[in-house]
Formats: sequence, structure tokens, C-alpha cells
Amino acid sequence: MSQKERVGISEYKTLSSPGMLITYGLGSCLGIIFYDAESQSGGMAHTLLPQPRPGMVSECKTKFVTTAIEMMLADLITKGCRQKNLVAKLFGGANMFAELQTVDKESIGQRNIRVAKETLVTIGIPLVAEDTGGSFGRTLEFDLTTGQVLVRSVRENKREKYF
Amino acid sequence: MTFTKLTEEHLDALREISNVGMGNAATALSQMVADTVELHVPSVTLANIVDVPDLIGGPEQVVVGITMRIQGDACGTILLVFPDQSAHRLVNQLLGRADYGPRFDEMAESTLKEVGNILASSYLGAMGNLLNLMLIPSIPAFSHDMAGAVIDYLLIELSETGDQALMIETEFQGRRPGADVIAGRFFLLPDPASLKVLIDAIGAAH
Repeated sequence: MSQKERVGISEYKTLSSPGMLITYGLGSCLGIIFYDAESQSGGMAHTLLPQPRPGMVSECKTKFVTTAIEMMLADLITKGCRQKNLVAKLFGGANMFAELQTVDKESIGQRNIRVAKETLVTIGIPLVAEDTGGSFGRTLEFDLTTGQVLVRSVRENKREKYF
Repeated sequence: MTFTKLTEEHLDALREISNVGMGNAATALSQMVADTVELHVPSVTLANIVDVPDLIGGPEQVVVGITMRIQGDACGTILLVFPDQSAHRLVNQLLGRADYGPRFDEMAESTLKEVGNILASSYLGAMGNLLNLMLIPSIPAFSHDMAGAVIDYLLIELSETGDQALMIETEFQGRRPGADVIAGRFFLLPDPASLKVLIDAIGAAH
């Protein structure tokens, strides 16, 4: 039976085909997807912040881009994925309030995107698709059979696009 | 002070001052729309950040969000959320015009920001008087999108310091006989660092 699982804010989940991982309403948050086409399995993370700061009190490691990537990768390898098969896709990192954008400062969405890309380079997982930035929200539906991600938005003329 | 150290009395006191603040804001709103504005009893919720999108009506619901920072003696964030339909009704009523399509034009957007500014100013004014604190709202910011996307910026700010959000929430409804209801929700999210200032001020005011 095909499974549909929802990934909430600061969570990650892994799943194999047949199945679907879904996350709703990404704004500045960043959706990170790993996929192994050979085993038709992968994972999705919904992250809030780039990385833990020293002295930050948090029980929740999965809300950070860096630690969520680390944990999701370890989880997938435990479940039988091979690291060399994995590819990554990134979504979100928008700036939802135009008024809060400052010209000289990197927005939180941009920081999330940059840190995710740096981390992917470090661990050697290729980034094969992305739909990031802008000023609109995104809902993701990740099909574990095809590896395709449907990105839905209510703005941008209700755009629906596969990545 | 962290959110988890709040006692039942603290939460009651927060609920009470919020009631006064919102009462003032509702008067302002009812003068603007020339309608009766009904208020629900405010709720004070200590929630995991993860659960907040569901608590405000589900992450995919299309809403208008107007947000302001609170500056002065205590800091925090104010968020005003209108369901899509209600925001359109409110704009049409305030500007006295017919429906003009699904998107908000510049005039509509600045009208809604002004509503946010008036509500926040009257709310914070009443609360500041009561607690003897200076509380000033910043310039409002506007977003029209999925609720999850609209609020995640605020959750990101909160999650810089912890995993929980303290939400002081009031639902309100504008009702004119024979017209459609305008509903909205007003949220006050104090910064964890300002919590002690608020609690001490409440203690002194009692």
C-alpha cells in the first residue's frame, strides 16, 4: 500500500517506494530532499535555521540545516541507501515579507540556502534540482517511486511544477 | 526566564492584560468598520514551534498576515491573521468598493497594513498604560500566502532561542446585520528575553 507521510516543521522523514513525503507551506524554511533512484528511497527535511549557534539551547537538532542533513544521511545509509547514489534537491528559502528585506544583509532564507549548498559540497552529494528564493510559499510532494517533487504555490498564478 | 517557568498565575495575568489590550483594539476596529466587533476570550498557549502552523488553522490555508515588531521596554512580535475572504471583505468595506479580484492591489495592501498598525497601537497602548511600559509597534509588513509560509519567519526568530512559542491569541469578528462576517486572529508572541520584564510589570501593577 502506498504511504503518504507529512513532514512537519523541524522534522525529517525517510521513506521507500511506493510512497509520498509531503510538507506544507514552506516560506523562509528550507525543504531538503535526498533521493536514491536505485533503491527508490529517500528523505525530506523541513528546516528552520542554518546551524546551531554556540550556547543555543535546543533539544531539537532536526530544525537546523546542517544537523538535519547529517541525521537524514545517516538514517538513509542505515536503511540501505548508498551515499554515492544519493542526489539532493532544495526548495523554499523565500522572503515572505518584502518590507523586512534589507539590501545589505543576507535574509534568513538566503542563509538557509547557502549553508545547505555548502554542506552538500562538503559531503559530496550533488544538487540536481532547486526551486529556491522568491517571495512565495511552497508545498512539496515528493514521490519516492519517480524521485520527482511537485512544488505547489498559491501565488505565482497557482503554479504547479515538477523538479 | 524561559517559557517553561511560567506558572498558571502568570498565564492568567497575561490573559487578563491581553483582554484589556484587545478590548481597546476592538473599539478601534469597530469605529473603522462601523460595526459591532465581537471578541472571544483570549487564550494563552505555550506550544512547541512545530505545532504552531496547525494551531493557527493549518499550513495550507490562504491568509493575509500583517506583522509588526514590538519595541520599547519589552520586545516581541505581533501577528494579525485574516483568512483570505475576510481580508477582502474588510478592504472592500473600508474603501467602499466592489470586489476587484483575488489579488490585493497596492491600495488594499496598504489599507490592511494600516488596520494592523491601528490595532497594534491601540492594543499596546492599553497594555503599556496598565503595566507602565513603553511599547511601540514597528512599521507593519504584509504577506498574502499559505499560512505556514506566512508565519515561518516568526517561528524562525523564536527558534533562535528555544523550541517553544508563547502565543497570546484573541479571535475577533466584525458583524453587520445582513453582511458577511469578517473574522481575524490577533497574536502576541513575546520574546523569551522580554518575558521577565512583562511578568515583573504585571506583578507591580497588581
